[in-house]
Amino acid sequence: MSADNREVMLTLDRVSLSYKSRRGSFDHGSHHVLDGVSLKVYEGETLGIIGRNGVGKSTLLRLIAGILSPTSGTVRQRPGKTASLLTIGLGFRPDLSGRDNAMLASMLQGATAKQARGYLEEIKEFSELGDSFEERVKTYSSGMLARLGFTTALKTHVDILLIDEVLSVGDAQFREKAEAAMKSRISGDQTVIFVSHVESQVRDICTRAVCLNRGAIVAEGEPGDVLGAYQALLN
Amino acid sequence: MRRKFADRITLTGLHLMSPLQYVRLIDTMARMSLRADASKDVLGYIWWVLEPLLFVAVFYVVFELILNSGRADYLVFLMCGKLAFIWFSKSVNQAANSIVANRGLIGRVNVTKTLFPLSVVQEGLYRQLAVFALLFAFLYVRGFPPDMTWVYLLPVIVVNYLMIVACALIGSCLVCMVRDFTMFISLGMTFLLFTSGVFWDVRSLGDPVKTDLVLAINPLAFILDAYRQVLMHNTAPDWWHLFLLGCGSVVLVLIVARVMRRASQYLALRALS
Repeated sequence: MSADNREVMLTLDRVSLSYKSRRGSFDHGSHHVLDGVSLKVYEGETLGIIGRNGVGKSTLLRLIAGILSPTSGTVRQRPGKTASLLTIGLGFRPDLSGRDNAMLASMLQGATAKQARGYLEEIKEFSELGDSFEERVKTYSSGMLARLGFTTALKTHVDILLIDEVLSVGDAQFREKAEAAMKSRISGDQTVIFVSHVESQVRDICTRAVCLNRGAIVAEGEPGDVLGAYQALLN
Repeated sequence: MRRKFADRITLTGLHLMSPLQYVRLIDTMARMSLRADASKDVLGYIWWVLEPLLFVAVFYVVFELILNSGRADYLVFLMCGKLAFIWFSKSVNQAANSIVANRGLIGRVNVTKTLFPLSVVQEGLYRQLAVFALLFAFLYVRGFPPDMTWVYLLPVIVVNYLMIVACALIGSCLVCMVRDFTMFISLGMTFLLFTSGVFWDVRSLGDPVKTDLVLAINPLAFILDAYRQVLMHNTAPDWWHLFLLGCGSVVLVLIVARVMRRASQYLALRALS
């Protein structure tokens, strides 16, 4: 099925984001993170976003998740749909246990306390954290954090799943399992926007891709073509 | 600015959440934090009452043993004021930093930013319940047995709580926008400690006009005095004054909560950048 036949889940229209940040006392610099990005995301597709570090990929996901507002332009999402952002490590409260963090993350995504408790055993099992699930997250390695983050998002239900690099961490065995779970979810109705540096993942998982450079989209289309454009940029 | 907010038609978890669910989330966060805090130290939950008691002890040594207050009931007097003051100052100080402290979560979920200061305030409320129980027990031992008039304490505590919520919300926004406000807020707390009659009696200033002025200008001085009037003298607080303070706090809370809801993405950008 071509993307155009599907319903649009999300539209970005000439979206720009800039902000002032402090460089020293009384000294402010202006950052232009995104500059006039227009993009449509279709229901059920898996859109890959590629680009070098610092080109605005994560910011783009945050705009889509409604965490940030564009300085200019519009972000429109189908009413009643939820978007959730999945990132490595960030967002966990280090002083809380894995269980508490998973509970909190589920509740923040709109689950009731009862529903969230219902997810916990599944999360514990899939993440293979074992007894570490009851330990504080600050004792976790980056791989364990990725497992917890990935599983929490996988087990709670959102309409648009935004994934920021999370599949790139963790050991090979878990990565395989995560990719398989991801694929089975993608084959359903799940709409996914996926940021990754791993070319093979983008090629395997994504149905479409865009390449960002300096806050603007420089290539859009089939993952293979876009990866080619990305390679050209790197060179 | 208005156009930008209107154009944003994102519905994420928290926007679909019912008010009851939101309250449950605040409560869950507060309880988790309490549990995590308690498991950090050897003395755990004992710190809830030990910390305020140590503060009281410090003030007692200085103002009674060294400076000799000249009051027979000074320790009771000090505890009534100081324990309520610590509730206020600690909650507001912690809540003020709460949005910035949770920027990890804020960078991941579109969440109404009131969640963070409110869960800190809720955490403080749970601790304070233990502290109040200790205070009542202490009063009983020192010859101030529970009295029917202690019922008056309920509205005093409610208004005190509302004042904390209002200041916590305002403080959290200010610190989120300009981090330097942390310094101003902790300095402000020191200022309030000295001007609210924590270790001196507003009613023994010698000049009734001055007493009225302090009580009228400083809401915290009024509240601390109201605790003492009820607990030590079995006297009702000035209801009208209390009512106005309560209404003022509610209005502030509603306004600031609304502003925070509307400026949620702006606050997120400030917290993240």
